Amino acid sequence: MSLIKDFTKGIWKENPVLVMLLGMCPTLAVTNNAENGLSMGVATTCVLLGCNIVISMVRNIVPKKIRIPVYIVVIATFVTVVELLMAAYAPPAINKSLGIFIPLIVVNCIVLGRAEAFASKTGVMRSIMDALGMGLGFALALTALGGAREFLATGSLFQIKIIIPWTVDFMLWTSAPGAFIILGCFLAGMNKLNMRKAVKRGEVYIPPQGLDCRHCRLCDIDTTGEEIE
Amino acid sequence: MKKLKETENIIVLGIFLGICGAIAALVLAYFADLTREPIKKMKMQEVNNALKEVLPAFDNSPGNTTFKKDGVTFYGAKKNGKLVAVAAAGDTMKGYSGKIVAMVGLELNGKIRTIAVVDGKKLSAVLITEQKETPGLGTVVCGRNRQKTIVSIFEKPGKDANLPPGNMILDQFAGKKAGKTPWQVTKTGGKFDYMTGATISSKAVTGVVYKIARTFVVNRKEIIKELSKAEK
Repeated sequence: MSLIKDFTKGIWKENPVLVMLLGMCPTLAVTNNAENGLSMGVATTCVLLGCNIVISMVRNIVPKKIRIPVYIVVIATFVTVVELLMAAYAPPAINKSLGIFIPLIVVNCIVLGRAEAFASKTGVMRSIMDALGMGLGFALALTALGGAREFLATGSLFQIKIIIPWTVDFMLWTSAPGAFIILGCFLAGMNKLNMRKAVKRGEVYIPPQGLDCRHCRLCDIDTTGEEIE
Repeated sequence: MKKLKETENIIVLGIFLGICGAIAALVLAYFADLTREPIKKMKMQEVNNALKEVLPAFDNSPGNTTFKKDGVTFYGAKKNGKLVAVAAAGDTMKGYSGKIVAMVGLELNGKIRTIAVVDGKKLSAVLITEQKETPGLGTVVCGRNRQKTIVSIFEKPGKDANLPPGNMILDQFAGKKAGKTPWQVTKTGGKFDYMTGATISSKAVTGVVYKIARTFVVNRKEIIKELSKAEK
């Protein structure tokens, strides 16, 4: 039962992109079409799975003092392996457009975050489920973002034109500002949905820390620069 | 085991980290060895695909029949042991965001090849194989993208399906021979059209195609002699 819960929590309740707001660099940078989003998601899932398995296996022998360096070595190894395999077997177009973002998975907070927060405390089976769930959540979020951006810009999905008379591309959505706008819309939509669900159940909705305006003190600073108590 | 987890002995920690690094290095060495050949093949395949588009039918492997001159790489296409056409790849740094690499198919007399005539329009053997231009502007100058649509993926491919799609800018070069005066766009007094909003990209493409074609015209005899030699 708890295995299923470990798997499903990554997809919606603790979605790494839309709820925890982790891994924003690949999220914003490579999702200019659905294909790129999906391949980035799959690559990250592979790394996540490998790291979670290895780290949960060695969790009882790694000295506490050097656990972070050891995790980074494990993660970097898996990322390099994935990079080599992609260069050898993935279509060249995908390789070219993902480029530098594959090696950058090393510093993706999701991977180190899951290693430190989950795999280093739990057994192998649960870690595998956690990695698969988180990876799937990440891949789904990236594909949805990429799909939305690609469709708004060119009227196509996965490089296949859906609306045929659409000939002039609307480049805003595939460039950087479009990424922020679409991601903002996604987060707002996610919050709205969760809020409605909570109201229906008769509970008070508490947004996740990263999305909650009430925790942010940015607006509490007055013009003199002093904080209002 | 418990002891190892709580240890603060710096030597033990160092040895542990060293062992981790060594294992990682072994794993990486294994995978690097495993993927060396496929990566090489993948890179060759990319060049070969471009060569197939700009060259006529050939029965050798032009990717291995190469000759370099003045920064331009020439590939020879042979049929029955005789050189029939030459492809050339060269680059320029004058693009709007840096490097543009072009692949041009040339007749042996120095004219840029015409692949086919579609609806009265010539299709030139000019391809841009690498560019970082602005999406939507510069990429229009450089691109020959095959567009799939929801209808076309269910249709049977027609007879023109193997031809690359046309490109207003690149197709202007069909049948042209590079003379002494460098090619220029109409804006700077030349005779080639350019894209409004992508003047720099158009200029860069015109420039690099001229450079490649001119290098061939100037060194024609030497290049043909080198490429006619038996394959290495």
